[in-house]
Amino acid sequence: MTAALTLEGVTKRYGDFEAVRDLSFAVPKGSICGFLGPNGAGKTSTLRMILGLQPATSGRIDILGASDGRLVRDRIGFLPEERGLYKKMTPVEAIAFFGALKGLPIAEGKKRAKVMLEQQGLGASQKKKMKELSKGMAQKVQLIASVVHRPEFVILDEPFSGLDPMNQQGLEEMIRGLAADGATVLFSTHVMQHAERLCDKVVLLARGRKAFEGSVDEARSTSPRFLDLEGDITPDAAAALPGVANVEALADGRLKVALLPGAAGQETLKAAFLGGLDVRRFALKEPTLHDAFIGLTGDHPDQPAVREIAQ
Amino acid sequence: MKRTLLIARREYVAYAKTVGFWLSLLAFPLFAVLGGGIPLLIRSAEPIKAVAIVEEGPQASGLAAVVQSALKAEQDRINQRAQDAAAKGQAGAGRAVASLGGPKIRLVPAPGAIADASTGPSRDEAIRHALDKSTPDDQRLDAVVFLTRQDGRPAAQVWTGRANDSDVGDFVRSALRTGYREEMLVSAGVAPALVDQIESFRPEVKAFSPNAASGGEVSMRDRLPSFIGLGAGFLLWSLVLTGASILLNSVMEEKSNRILEVLLSSASATEILTGKVLGVAFLTLTVLAAWGGLGAFVLLSAAPQTAVQVGQVLLHQGLVFYFIAYMVGGYLMYAVLFAAIGAFCETPRDAQTLMGPIMMVLIVPIMVMQMALTSPDAPVVKILSWIPFFTPFLMSARAPSDPPLIEIILTLIGMFATAALMVWIAGRAFRAGALSDVKLSWKSFGRAITGRG
Repeated sequence: MTAALTLEGVTKRYGDFEAVRDLSFAVPKGSICGFLGPNGAGKTSTLRMILGLQPATSGRIDILGASDGRLVRDRIGFLPEERGLYKKMTPVEAIAFFGALKGLPIAEGKKRAKVMLEQQGLGASQKKKMKELSKGMAQKVQLIASVVHRPEFVILDEPFSGLDPMNQQGLEEMIRGLAADGATVLFSTHVMQHAERLCDKVVLLARGRKAFEGSVDEARSTSPRFLDLEGDITPDAAAALPGVANVEALADGRLKVALLPGAAGQETLKAAFLGGLDVRRFALKEPTLHDAFIGLTGDHPDQPAVREIAQ
Repeated sequence: MKRTLLIARREYVAYAKTVGFWLSLLAFPLFAVLGGGIPLLIRSAEPIKAVAIVEEGPQASGLAAVVQSALKAEQDRINQRAQDAAAKGQAGAGRAVASLGGPKIRLVPAPGAIADASTGPSRDEAIRHALDKSTPDDQRLDAVVFLTRQDGRPAAQVWTGRANDSDVGDFVRSALRTGYREEMLVSAGVAPALVDQIESFRPEVKAFSPNAASGGEVSMRDRLPSFIGLGAGFLLWSLVLTGASILLNSVMEEKSNRILEVLLSSASATEILTGKVLGVAFLTLTVLAAWGGLGAFVLLSAAPQTAVQVGQVLLHQGLVFYFIAYMVGGYLMYAVLFAAIGAFCETPRDAQTLMGPIMMVLIVPIMVMQMALTSPDAPVVKILSWIPFFTPFLMSARAPSDPPLIEIILTLIGMFATAALMVWIAGRAFRAGALSDVKLSWKSFGRAITGRG
């Protein structure tokens, strides 16, 4: 499959601070790619370099066949992390204006805006001013504004932040719809569940460096399965069970028992019962992308990376 | 180009829809009317003062008549001017002259307690009572004037209700001076009719200059260019200030609403900057055109001859094009700078760091421009007009007095070179500021320009 986006050895420095270091990955055409990492990992800097808003200190970027995102800006849709639209414009005017900047005739932009707003359940708010809309509604309008010109490549920076679960679900459907229509989608997030549900491919970023590139399943497989044990069991007793790699005592008293690669789990459980351990509840769990992220990077995706942001 | 025009159009429409825009559109004509009308209103609303005149002793005899006749003469003069104006078909102007001119004084007989009393505490008490606010209107006085003679010369003591009221005192002083002059001339043997003739004589003075339009006599037509130049300078100054402030606020709003990043992903920094500068320029031009149109209409209907002369001055040697060139350069220099500052700011407080020095720079031409009206070739005016940031204002003010062509060309080159440099600097700063969360300071601005930000 040909790549819509390729990064090769891209580095971005702000003075002495290295925001992105030697980053390489590719996003196949028509796929949904999650760009994952905690806040401060370098995601926004990378997206800005892809768009050509900031030059890379070194390395090469190829997007839709161009070496600079600015050369193909009309074929790209972009939703920035911090969002805003002109407060006094109506949603239709705002969408048509941003569409027009991407080369879409104003009249066509307005026509599409009305249809898309209707599809997103915002038909009744078409004539309201942006400042009268709720945050969720405004975010939907901005997303529509970024894709109204039907871009080939859509870049969404933390699109789920600030949305309630209902709107998050709506946004997931919208992203799937974009990919179904043939667009390539690259979105950044620090919430792994969205990526798990949506992505064909994920790129994990930690402290400016790529930690992983591949499918969600491949990422998960890098992390061990684990047993969730509840009962009066000491971590040492659990660690002595067969097939156990390590044991983590959780705050609520449960034990998270990571299994060795290849260990089935049943053997471990059987040994626990036969050994007379006080197992009141147990569950055999598959690793999540969240687990994989922690395993691969040592960072916690929900916590900002401890790096001095000098930009 | 299409994107630039789109951004310009949005900028224009966004402001044209606001109340502030329409207020600014109407403000100038409104203030022109108010500015002209308020002094008239104040003067005509000013109450006529009731003044009692008392001659102290036989030596002061005749002085009250002097003051009385001076008041009548003044009133006659005002009435004559009003009639002359009305005769020329300017009824409004006639009324204005009548209401503006002359002292607002009415002479009333002095109450017995003042007129008949000799100096002393009881008379002082009577005066205080007459001037007191609580005294009934029909008995109350605004001033009491005691006329006397000291060493044979007229003198007066003026009591007024308000301590800072000098109108009556001024009028009495002038009346006594005129009266004394007449008295002395008559006593020296000059015929009273001759004295009147001398008093009313106003010499006719005509000004000539080899540089006058007629080649000799100086007329209003010759003074007009200086006024037009000064007007153009002030107009440019207000245009720069309002336009640049609109730009600053507009960019600041986009920065704080996080719109700049979306815009930057859709258009280049240059396109955005140009679009915004153009949009606001059209906006200010709309205001200018509305004011200019209204001004031309008023001038054409009130003084068609002056209107024609203004037209001639503007077209003489393409003066209007000089103004336009300086206007474009001046607006560009300041507008892009303000826009760049806006890209670093989210609140007006953020902007104050850099705005203070710029405002100080902008005050200099305002002060020097007035000097350019009277002495367009004064060294300070000449030297300052070479500084590109002052060039547009000062050269506009100097342009009608025909500065050397070489100065015009070189200052234009200097100004446009600086404007180009400002566009380049502002483009870099705008791009860096729009994407950064760094607070505005000279350091961050400098880093953005040098590309180290």
